[in-house]
Amino acid sequence: MKQKLTSSVQIILLLALIAVGLTDESYPGKPKIIRCRSLEKETFSCWWKPGSDGGLPTNYTLFYIKDSEEKIYECPDYGTSGPNSCYFDKNHTNPWTTYNITVMATNEMGSNTSDPQYVDVTSIVQPDAPVNLSLETKTSASTMYLWAKWSPSPLADVSTNSHAYHYELRLKPEEKEEWETISVGVQTQYKVAGLQAGVKYIVQVRCILDLGEWSEWSSERYIQIPNGESPPEKPTIIKCRSPEKETFTCWWKPGADGGHPTNYTLLYSKEGEEQVYECPDYRTAGPNSCYFDKKHTSFWTIYNITVRATNEMGSNVSDPHYVDVTYIVQPDPPVNVTLELKNPINRKPYLVLTWSPPPLADVRSGWLTLEYELQLKPEEGEEWETIFVGQQTQYKMFSLNPGKKYIVQIHCKPDHHGSWSEWSSEKYIQIPTDFRVKDMVVWIIVGVLSSLICLIMSWTMVLKGYRMIAFILPPVPGPKIKGIDTHLLERGKSEELLSALGCHGFPPTSDCEELLIEYLEVEDSEDQQLMPSHDSGHPSKNAKLIPKETDSDSGRGSCDSPSLLSEKCRESRALPSALETQEVRDIQENKGGKRSWQTQCIASEQKILLFNNENTKSSTWPTAQLPTNQPPMFAYHSTVDAHKITLSTTNVNITPVLVGNEEKHQSQYPMTETVHDNMVKQRQMENLHSTDQTTAQVRQSRPDDKSPFLNPELMDYVEVHKVRHNEEPAVLLKHKENNGKTEKYTVPGTSKEYTKVSTVVDHNILVLMPDSRIQHASMSQEPPMETSQNLQQGQAEKNMSYSLTVPSECKRETSGSEYMDPSSFLPSFK
Amino acid sequence: MSNKGALLKDLLLVVLLVSSMLLTKEGVTSLPICLNGSDSCQVSLGELFDRAVNLSHYIHFLSSEIFNEFDERYAQGRSFITKAVNGCHTSSLTTPEDKEQAQQIHHEDLLKVVLGVLRSWNDPLIHLASEVQRIKEAPDTILWKAVEIEEQNKRLLEGMEKIVERIHSGEIGNEVYSQWEGLPSLQLADEDSRLFAFYNLLHCLRRDSHKIDNYLKLLKCRLIHDSNC
Repeated sequence: MKQKLTSSVQIILLLALIAVGLTDESYPGKPKIIRCRSLEKETFSCWWKPGSDGGLPTNYTLFYIKDSEEKIYECPDYGTSGPNSCYFDKNHTNPWTTYNITVMATNEMGSNTSDPQYVDVTSIVQPDAPVNLSLETKTSASTMYLWAKWSPSPLADVSTNSHAYHYELRLKPEEKEEWETISVGVQTQYKVAGLQAGVKYIVQVRCILDLGEWSEWSSERYIQIPNGESPPEKPTIIKCRSPEKETFTCWWKPGADGGHPTNYTLLYSKEGEEQVYECPDYRTAGPNSCYFDKKHTSFWTIYNITVRATNEMGSNVSDPHYVDVTYIVQPDPPVNVTLELKNPINRKPYLVLTWSPPPLADVRSGWLTLEYELQLKPEEGEEWETIFVGQQTQYKMFSLNPGKKYIVQIHCKPDHHGSWSEWSSEKYIQIPTDFRVKDMVVWIIVGVLSSLICLIMSWTMVLKGYRMIAFILPPVPGPKIKGIDTHLLERGKSEELLSALGCHGFPPTSDCEELLIEYLEVEDSEDQQLMPSHDSGHPSKNAKLIPKETDSDSGRGSCDSPSLLSEKCRESRALPSALETQEVRDIQENKGGKRSWQTQCIASEQKILLFNNENTKSSTWPTAQLPTNQPPMFAYHSTVDAHKITLSTTNVNITPVLVGNEEKHQSQYPMTETVHDNMVKQRQMENLHSTDQTTAQVRQSRPDDKSPFLNPELMDYVEVHKVRHNEEPAVLLKHKENNGKTEKYTVPGTSKEYTKVSTVVDHNILVLMPDSRIQHASMSQEPPMETSQNLQQGQAEKNMSYSLTVPSECKRETSGSEYMDPSSFLPSFK
Repeated sequence: MSNKGALLKDLLLVVLLVSSMLLTKEGVTSLPICLNGSDSCQVSLGELFDRAVNLSHYIHFLSSEIFNEFDERYAQGRSFITKAVNGCHTSSLTTPEDKEQAQQIHHEDLLKVVLGVLRSWNDPLIHLASEVQRIKEAPDTILWKAVEIEEQNKRLLEGMEKIVERIHSGEIGNEVYSQWEGLPSLQLADEDSRLFAFYNLLHCLRRDSHKIDNYLKLLKCRLIHDSNC
């Protein structure tokens, strides 16, 4: 308890100390609401007088309570009516409510509240004083009266009928003290009669709104009541102007008419002359004016002009006006103002302004010389840019901000004296955005468009696959060997085909084996014509498939498969050949590089399909083909024709170039390389075009071939004479049978000639033409060789994914007839 | 495909065209000063008139300036203008007073009028240039203008004689001018009177220089541009 007591005592002491210590700082004094007033019964304001602020910054808050509610509101607007005031706008003003208003002053020390003020809006209305009070004396029926007019304060909203102002007017002679007050009613004008003539009166008005308070009196107005009847007041010459330096006009302002109709007369005299003339023409230039036509206008002469006002009571003359017409020329504004944006090709665009002098001004004779000035600004601009142009009637503007709209005006002035005309009407011109930007945009558009085109092209290429390729790179028709029905090939009915080829019965018999004599390698980039039925909608898929197919494909059957293989094949399968094939493959890959390997895939797939249909034995086949050891013996033909994309495929003419490879085995290498080089070169040269390359390889075994693996016997060989691409693809083969035969026949064991189209690379056609004459001769001789050949072939396949130079000697050896070797259709890639 | 190819070609062509146009600049040619050799290389009448008009324009500009300066500085509240109605020493010369008169008068006569007025100002301008120095607190702007006007007036007179010579190809009457008798008034003891004498002289100078300028512009348009300026 004691502790509590002491602590409370301490607190009290502390408080007392603080109170003592802060004597100069205290809570604010009581504010006082001075006045509440409504101007038009729709809004009202209250003002208060602050009390002492207690030495601290003080905030004032106005609270009010409506009589209908308990709620306390705060002032809605402290700003509108000035400091220490609160403005109640329409939403916060209700004429049927009594407001209980208090103002609270607050500072750090505390707060203080004013006495409440009760406000009834209706009773605090006090409008502003009326304005624009004008007085006039008029005479009607020989009685003089005063005509007073005024208007309500502009603050009041007169449009609403709820505000019916009532007016009071008071007047008194200037020297008297008492006012005479007249109740006017709701009108804003009043006629006062019975005034003393010759006395100066002071007049004021005020107004009231409903039950409110009277406004202040308006400002005082004075009027001299004319002394019965008097002469008119002095008129004033306002100005004289010559629009074209040939005629001029003067205007005057009449004074008070003194209650009588008044006549005005303009009189003038010219320098150096005593005579006084009267105005020649009062009418032309309107009322209270005088027009001096050409005859009455002299230059370099001073006119002394006066105007006399006359009524019944007398006359009054204006002050004289001295005019030298030279100096009062003020032309009309220029006309035909045109703005034109010039856009020269190799320069910056500029604005050309042209205009014509005012039609009245005769500038052609040289009598009047005009100078022009133009001003312009951007539409949203504040300041005009003024340009003095001189006497020319056109102006070029070079430095305008692009993308802005400009306003242009022109006025003119005589060269030395006179004054500027009015401005011509405003002309607008939109300056286009920067032309460089525009150019850029054009270029961007061009770029985007071209890239779009490229995109579309590549897209369609991807979508349409080989069709597009075929379109760009027209297909080279397959070699057409007389007597072979291509349709049979397409249909893939092996038996029929075989039979057509003269190889009856399947599995192949010795007959078939004997067919092999020669290989005809035809590389063709297009096989479309051979395989029209193949739709390559899924090139990528095909591409994946192919490598596998290559292996399984080995059995693309034909009659020549195992039986055809001779033992010599083995021998002939030498490393060189492998290398060679690789070379050739390289060539092909190079060739095909640009065409996308899809094409190749498709082509190869097609081949595969074709030969699968033929139901040939997969295992045996490839071996037969792969022995490529015969390089030297074949004429190696590489035909590369370049075609432009735009050329239609059917028109492609391919001229095969026959390269007879007369060299020996060893020389085979260089040969292929040269071919390779050629191809590459060609590719480089014809890069822009889509190249259609057809390579026909015709290998021929030569009797004089010294290769150890080679069969000494020489075969007949076939040259690819022509590869026509016209509609029906065909390879015209030129058989050198006669020679060959003779040679062959001389060698024992090789009594048959084969013509073999061993490879059709890329898009190739394989055509085999049996040489029926020799066909049957050595059929039976072949079987023993077959197996060995197979073995070798298997190895070969492992070594090389693909052998281009399929033809093997063995075949040649064994063959007496021509046949078609599908193994050459192996894809060129793995 | 072929369409696309053609489009590409067109585009290329357009690009080439645009670039070539961008590259070519407009050629600039210059004209020889004398076309027909040195004999006919004298200043043309048109050029003479141009120079004369430039001069007269300048003289009138100076006259207006000097008058306005003087009026502002010395004539305020003295209503000199009312007295100035008395006229100028050149008022004895008959000059066209409006456009019609100026257009009706023969150009040779108008040239004579110009010459007459110019000569009539020879004397007074010389005196003005010297007497104006004596005006109390005369600003430099007034002083140098008086001198400048005097010099330019002489040059204009020379030029006008040349023009008249060219047009007339005859003798020029030297006698047609108005004598100025106003020197004493410029030397009056009474400042007001003296200032008024200056005022009046400057006022007349302004008027006559404007007349000359106006007549010369009229003549130039009539003789050189066939009344189609």
